[in-house]
Amino acid sequence: MKKYNFIAGIPCSKLKYFTDRIKKYIPCTREDEAMALAVGAYLAGKKPLVFLQNSGLGNIVDVITSLLKPYGIKIDLLISVRNKPEHHAFMGKITKKLLKLLEYRNYKLVM
Amino acid sequence: MKRIDAIKKIMKNIRDELVISSTGMISRELYAVKDRPRNFYVLGSMGNALGIGLGIAINSRHKVVVISGDGEVFMSLGTLALHKKLNPKNLKHYILDNNCHSSTGGQPTCSDVVDFSKLAPNTKVIKVNEEKGDAPRIPILPKQIARRFKNAISSNRS
Repeated sequence: MKKYNFIAGIPCSKLKYFTDRIKKYIPCTREDEAMALAVGAYLAGKKPLVFLQNSGLGNIVDVITSLLKPYGIKIDLLISVRNKPEHHAFMGKITKKLLKLLEYRNYKLVM
Repeated sequence: MKRIDAIKKIMKNIRDELVISSTGMISRELYAVKDRPRNFYVLGSMGNALGIGLGIAINSRHKVVVISGDGEVFMSLGTLALHKKLNPKNLKHYILDNNCHSSTGGQPTCSDVVDFSKLAPNTKVIKVNEEKGDAPRIPILPKQIARRFKNAISSNRS
C-alpha cells in the first residue's frame, strides 16, 4: 500500500484486515463520496485508493461513467466480494461482469 | 437574487482560490461569468462537487470554494456530515438554493425544510430565484477541464 498516499472508502468485514493495517483513511458515508474525495486527491497531486464492498459497486456507477471516464481520471479500487447469503448472491455473480461492462481495469478483488 | 448574480458576487472576491462548481446551470453560468483554469466544472456526477472539493482541501493548502445547488447537495447529504467531521479551514461552500431542480423544469426539492448551514461549517446558503437561465453549454471538453485544473494546481503548490 506504500504507493498510495490517500485512501478513502466504506468498510467491509472482509477488508477489516486492511483497514486495521492502514489506520489512516477517510471513512466515507457512501461509496460515490469516497470516489469524489479520491478525485479531489488526484487533482491535488496524490495517488489515491478507494476500498469498498461489491454491494456498493452500484453506488459508483455514475461516478465512473460521468466523472472518471469523461475527465480521463483513473482511481484504483480494492473491492471485497461477497456472494452469500442470498442478498449478496446476485451482485456476487455479476461483480466481474459489471466491472468489465464499465471497462474498469484498475481494481483488485478480495474474495 | 438571480443565480448568475450570486455567482458574479462570489467570483468578485475570488483571487487564487480553486473553484469547484456543480452539475447543471451553475457550472454553465460560472463559465459564462468567469472562465479560468482554476475552475473545475463538474458536468455530470451529480452530488459529488463537495466531495471533490473536500478531497482537494484536505490534500493541499489551496483555498477551495465549492458552488453547488440544493438539488445537488441532497444527492449526497452525508457529505455535509463528512465536511463537518474533516472541517478543513481552507474550504468554503456556497449553496445556491432555489428550492427546485431548475435545469429539468423546476421540480421541487426539500430545501424548504432543511437548513444546510446548520449541518456543515463554512457553508453559506444563498436564496436565488427559480429560473432556468440561458447560459450555453461549456464548450471545453472534460479532459481539458481536468488537465488545465491539475496543471494550475501543480504549477503553484501552496
